[in-house]
Amino acid sequence: MDIFLQQMVNGLTIGSLYALVALGYTMVYGVMRLINFAHGDLVAFSAFIGLSVYAQIFGESVTSLIAVITVFVFTAAIVAFVGVLLERLAYRPLRTAPRLSAVVSALGAGLVIQNSVMLIWGPNMKIFPSNLFPATIWEIGGIVITFTQVMILGLSSVLMVGLYFFIHQTKIGTAIRAVAIDQDAAKLMGINVNRIVMIIFIIGSSLGAVAGLFIGTYYRGVTFDMGWMYGLNAFVAAIMGGIGNIPGAMLGGLLLGLFNAMITGYISTQWAETFTFVLLIAILVFRPTGILGETVAEKV
Amino acid sequence: MKKMFPKLTASLAVCSVLVSTSIAADVIKIGVQAPITGQYANEGQSIDNGVKLIVDQYNAKGGVLGKKIEVVTCDDQGTAQQAAICAKKLVNEGVKAVIGSYTSGATEAAQTTYFRAGVLQTSDGTSDSLIAHKYWTFFRNSFPNSAEADYTAKYFVDGKQYKKIVILSDYSSYSTDLADATSKALKAKNANIIYEGKIKSGTQNFTATLTKIKSMDPDVIYFSGYYTDGGLLRAQQIQLGIKADFVGGDSNDNPDYMKLAGDSAKGTLLINVPTPDILPYDIAKTFLVDYKAKFNAMPASIWSLMNVDGLRAILHTMEQTKSEDTKVIAESLHKLKDFPGITGPVTFREDGERIGGGYMTYEVQADKSYKIVYQ
Repeated sequence: MDIFLQQMVNGLTIGSLYALVALGYTMVYGVMRLINFAHGDLVAFSAFIGLSVYAQIFGESVTSLIAVITVFVFTAAIVAFVGVLLERLAYRPLRTAPRLSAVVSALGAGLVIQNSVMLIWGPNMKIFPSNLFPATIWEIGGIVITFTQVMILGLSSVLMVGLYFFIHQTKIGTAIRAVAIDQDAAKLMGINVNRIVMIIFIIGSSLGAVAGLFIGTYYRGVTFDMGWMYGLNAFVAAIMGGIGNIPGAMLGGLLLGLFNAMITGYISTQWAETFTFVLLIAILVFRPTGILGETVAEKV
Repeated sequence: MKKMFPKLTASLAVCSVLVSTSIAADVIKIGVQAPITGQYANEGQSIDNGVKLIVDQYNAKGGVLGKKIEVVTCDDQGTAQQAAICAKKLVNEGVKAVIGSYTSGATEAAQTTYFRAGVLQTSDGTSDSLIAHKYWTFFRNSFPNSAEADYTAKYFVDGKQYKKIVILSDYSSYSTDLADATSKALKAKNANIIYEGKIKSGTQNFTATLTKIKSMDPDVIYFSGYYTDGGLLRAQQIQLGIKADFVGGDSNDNPDYMKLAGDSAKGTLLINVPTPDILPYDIAKTFLVDYKAKFNAMPASIWSLMNVDGLRAILHTMEQTKSEDTKVIAESLHKLKDFPGITGPVTFREDGERIGGGYMTYEVQADKSYKIVYQ
């Protein structure tokens, strides 16, 4: 039993990272009908930005709660700016162009970001300081939970719940939902679509930045090309949950993480990826709009 | 139409011969095929640096056979696909010999191309399969996995007397080969292997596999893969509170292992041939001083030095035989005996295998230094 619960904890941790990244995919898709393939590379980029921010402001040795918060806030701000820039340069000129052009532009933008990271920080694996979070470990009935895991689970739940209420309770959230349903009608209602798209990219990129920093603090080693793997998994999670659907992305991420951990734990590593994509195909065959795609009529 | 092709190919062949001889006239080209980028970048760059240092030293003395040596580097990113492209590129460049690559997988993918073109190749790849092709062009400058496996089995059974052994590997040619060889050697000594598993290199999250291992309560986890995964495995093992010893195969011996594992690195047991800084040979000491002076860093690991020894053996044999003909050089290399190398005497067998060994086990201390615990 504790083995099962331990696998749950492992799965939920990686799952909430997938969910954070998946939100970036799903929000952009909901509003623009565009798969932002550069998003995964933006996640990798944010891990490197985080490392540099930390080294610049605090040097190598200082660790305190304030230091960690500053790193998260600065990194999220920088990555959000890059995300907005990405939309301006690579997507806005193509908004009326055929969808295929925008997708190709997204793939190209991803390569530009990935290679820029390689040129700026070098091709070597970079390593996060081990003492950003305290090394506290709790052992509850044979299950081991680390401080970093609690942080990941806690902060991502807060962010996801916050986002849900932001979309559903605030004026900007309502505007975002309106743009998702019909851009032209929203424009006629006096909503500034460009501003809404900008907000979407700010939110999506900052959530990606948080995920990137968590990947760095949890796994320690970051490489310039890791964005592809996290991006692909999060993309699968977004599709599973129903792309364009925010609770769907959260659910898809958590399910994918759990599913992966269980397959690895009870069958074998060799099969984990195979089963992931079998599950994806099964969901697409039986519920083409994803798990939450139909029950929630409103997209975004 | 049918008649045209033989003529065309014949004239092309003449062209390429002319081109290659005109190039060969003024310089001797040496290729480096190594992972300059990608996850094994620091090993690849170190090989490239080592080769360039030796070549500079030769050129300062007037080169070899009265000609300057030129280094052509191709980045194989540690992948088989890129390695195959590199092999073609280096052959087209007209190199006489290729140093590399670092991984067995990338080495094996390029082997056949070099063999067909008659280009010498020397690599630190330890997979036993590298020698199995019996290519006359291939020379291993390190020692095979089977030698390390026998040592590991002896250490586990006679030294540590482990009762419950877990073996982990990744999917690479080298790691699978080493894990299989170790498992075979352990079984020959009637050791109790309770689990043999695989992790996927680069996935970073190994907690699911480790949790499964935790339930088996092993004495030791042996990992035959590379440092990029080994460091994370060790860190996550300690996080999950698995008490077993962690023993890493030779490719975990890298400074990045220590950084990745952080404080968890303490207590790790690493099995490898001697590290660069404890090599007893004068020639090694001089090389390390020169290397440090030129690149302001130490070589990434012993593997760069093994490759450098491969290059030195080839250049030495070129001078001895006074020939640029790779066939003549290879014939002489196969008989090379006790050539003073940085990593010890270099002796090649008829099939291109380097004879020797001398493994040691190091225990990583709290300050990340090594202590020899078993020889």
